[in-house]
Amino acid sequence: MADQVDSMSDAELRTKLAEHGFPIMPITASTRKLLVKKLKLVLDNKSKPRSSVDNKADTRRSLARYSSGEESDLDTTTNAKEKRGRRATTGGAMLPPAVNKTRRPPSKKGSPAKRDSDKGSESEEEKSGLRTREEVETVTTRTIKRTYAANDADDYETGSDSDVDVDKKTSSPFRSNSRSSDYISSTLPSVDVSTSPPKSSVFSRASIIPTNYSSTYSPSMTSSDNLNSIRSRLGLTSNLADRPSIIPSSGFSSNYSTSTYQPSTSTINEVESPYLSNFTRRLSALKSDPTKPPSYLDRDTNNGSTVLPRRSYITGVNRSDVVDYKTATDMKFLKNNLVSLALVVLVALFFFCLFFMYIVKKNDITSVVDDQNSAIPICQLNIPGNRPGINCVPKEQVSYAKSLLKLIHPELTSRIAAYKCGQPGALPYLTEREIIDIASTKPETTDISQCRTDLNNLQVLLINNPRWGLNVVQLKNLYTKDAEYSTISSTDLIVQHRTKNSVAITLADPSTPLSCLFVNTLYSAGSTLAVIALLTLLALGIQRSYKYYMSYQKRKSEEIYSMVEQIIDVISQETEDSGEPYISVDHVRDTLISPQNREKMASVWDAAVKFIQRNESRVRMEVQSVDGEDCRVWRWISAHSSPKRSASWQGQAFETQEGSVNNLVVSPTPCLKIRHMFDKNDDTTILRMKIQDAILEKCDSNCNILHIDVDRTTCCVYVKCASPADAGVVYRSLHGWWYEGRLITVKYLRLERYMQRFPQSPAAGPYLTPSRPARRAWPDQ
Amino acid sequence: MSSTSQKHRNFVAEPMGEKPVTELAGVGEVLGKRLEVAGFDKAYTVLGQFLVLKKDKELFQEWLKDTCNANSKQSADCYQCLKDWCDEFL
Repeated sequence: MADQVDSMSDAELRTKLAEHGFPIMPITASTRKLLVKKLKLVLDNKSKPRSSVDNKADTRRSLARYSSGEESDLDTTTNAKEKRGRRATTGGAMLPPAVNKTRRPPSKKGSPAKRDSDKGSESEEEKSGLRTREEVETVTTRTIKRTYAANDADDYETGSDSDVDVDKKTSSPFRSNSRSSDYISSTLPSVDVSTSPPKSSVFSRASIIPTNYSSTYSPSMTSSDNLNSIRSRLGLTSNLADRPSIIPSSGFSSNYSTSTYQPSTSTINEVESPYLSNFTRRLSALKSDPTKPPSYLDRDTNNGSTVLPRRSYITGVNRSDVVDYKTATDMKFLKNNLVSLALVVLVALFFFCLFFMYIVKKNDITSVVDDQNSAIPICQLNIPGNRPGINCVPKEQVSYAKSLLKLIHPELTSRIAAYKCGQPGALPYLTEREIIDIASTKPETTDISQCRTDLNNLQVLLINNPRWGLNVVQLKNLYTKDAEYSTISSTDLIVQHRTKNSVAITLADPSTPLSCLFVNTLYSAGSTLAVIALLTLLALGIQRSYKYYMSYQKRKSEEIYSMVEQIIDVISQETEDSGEPYISVDHVRDTLISPQNREKMASVWDAAVKFIQRNESRVRMEVQSVDGEDCRVWRWISAHSSPKRSASWQGQAFETQEGSVNNLVVSPTPCLKIRHMFDKNDDTTILRMKIQDAILEKCDSNCNILHIDVDRTTCCVYVKCASPADAGVVYRSLHGWWYEGRLITVKYLRLERYMQRFPQSPAAGPYLTPSRPARRAWPDQ
Repeated sequence: MSSTSQKHRNFVAEPMGEKPVTELAGVGEVLGKRLEVAGFDKAYTVLGQFLVLKKDKELFQEWLKDTCNANSKQSADCYQCLKDWCDEFL
């Protein structure tokens, strides 16, 4: 059968293919092989039932072909053999030994494929003589392991055909994938080389990888989630998902991976190689080298099913690791943060205490006054300039003065606080009289003159000790309640002012109490805010009103424009309808605006009227007498306002209807001679047609015209009608009309003369009809 | 097909002119080399084969597989690429 197909001619092949439902296509040198193959496949499939034991190999082959056609990467077993051979040769000849290590894992992964082929048919095994001895060894070991690891359905002894089918189904996806990876790695030396650079780094980290892997591997084996993920990955990356035996195949792959990993502890070589290969792949995958996207793509798509499960293990483990690490670092960060936070709080507290102490200290007058460093001018009798109470203080009276100061200080402070807080009537100082009043209210004071002396002494002390924080001042204005004063800096001045009762004591740097400060700040802020708010409101108002004004203007102008449009509509409509060329302005207003709106719309109306007067060229305003009353009217003077009648027939010059002088009662002949429908230089090519149409349109199908002809030399048109009555109709409709600016005259013509002139003119129908259906004027030539 | 590759979009974006066969989506260096060995050095020759096979997906993929051992993804990419190009420019 196959030979038969091979020797078929192109035509036979085409018919055969057509029989089997293939699209008919050209059979060329390049397509013939393919089509022959297809036909063979179909014929094989048809002629050989699957139950026959003899055709087992062939069935397998066809099955393999099917799978290749549908989903797997590589198709036939012969192809696979070829590739295996190529792999072996390239592995031996082309690649340096350094690459061998990375190339080992694929060869190992390829071993199940070989196992498959072992199981499948011994003849294939024999044919693949290119394989090396070493590979055969790995194959055998692998098979042994696999016997333990794989599930029971994997029967190697292909005793029955059904067994083969099952086995085929479970193993073929994996086999094909492994083969492809195998194949790619062997036939893509460039890819292998591209992955070899990261290898050095891999080697340096080699100690980490195995531990990582072994630790992560055992949980991943038991976890069903990972199995599921493998399954899904397998389903996604290769088209295995649509096979019914997906679960066996995934189980198979997981089993397979266990079998690769368990022996990996036995020898160093085997430990390193799978990890290295995986890691390099993963590395290249993760790096996703932008310079070599296609090679990466190739690798990934080809190795996808075998690499991805492992990758999923790794990513899973990494994720949990990351989470642990994250929580740990979070806690640590919190701890560190606590310490630093506490430090900041401590520093803040320290400064706050300092500030508080400063405030308290400042107000403590007694400590300042009792300070030993105060300069106290003691009166000494032997110095002539010394005058007690003016520039010095008697020693025994210093303490009195100080106690007086302590007495008045709280009062003074409270006064200044009241003044600063803006209380009405509060003054920021204590006058001498007030001080004496305060002192005299004290129970221990006996003598007002003593108080006076103490005060004088105190003033001397205060001038000598500016650092006590009090000033002796001279009031500028005694009688008003102003707080204007100037500081007195020498004792001599005090004497001058003392006589004027204008000396007072005040604090040098009055501090405002906190509550007051707060209130003041609030007040000033409030007032500022109020001002700002006021200004903002003002601005907003202006803006709003401007906007409103603009929108009002816009609305108004829109109203005016719409009114103008309405007016023009009304004018053109009314003048056209009524026939009068003008219309009263008031009439237009009354038609447009309803009575209740007339007052309201007066301004709009006036504006519209003005606008029309100024800007509307088609409307002219004039005064006409309408019904004996002069009123303003609008005249519609539109250029294109004249109705689109026939451009040729422009109206009647005189009556031709029944009873008029020009109307003949009887039509004598059926023939007519029409003059002046054109003139000599009116030599358009379609003149005859044009005139015929004009006449037929004018007569409007209520007469039967047999023949129309044009005499260019005499500029006459000859018309022959079916009957004299028809000629009468034509006569009445044409005679005395303006046609293209010329007055038409029609005369009856005797039939004999007509026949003499036009002997070929028809005697009976068909009647002439207009060449165009629509009643339109001819376009200007 | 959910999305197309950049190569695919590049190819479909303009007339193929004298583009080499490796410009086709799904045809990399290796497949390109094999196709060149088989005589298909320019993209338009592959297009010719594609057209001779009457834009039949199965046959074209089969042919690509036979000619340069492309896997199903590569051949599907190549097929889609040529098909989109034809839809655009033919």
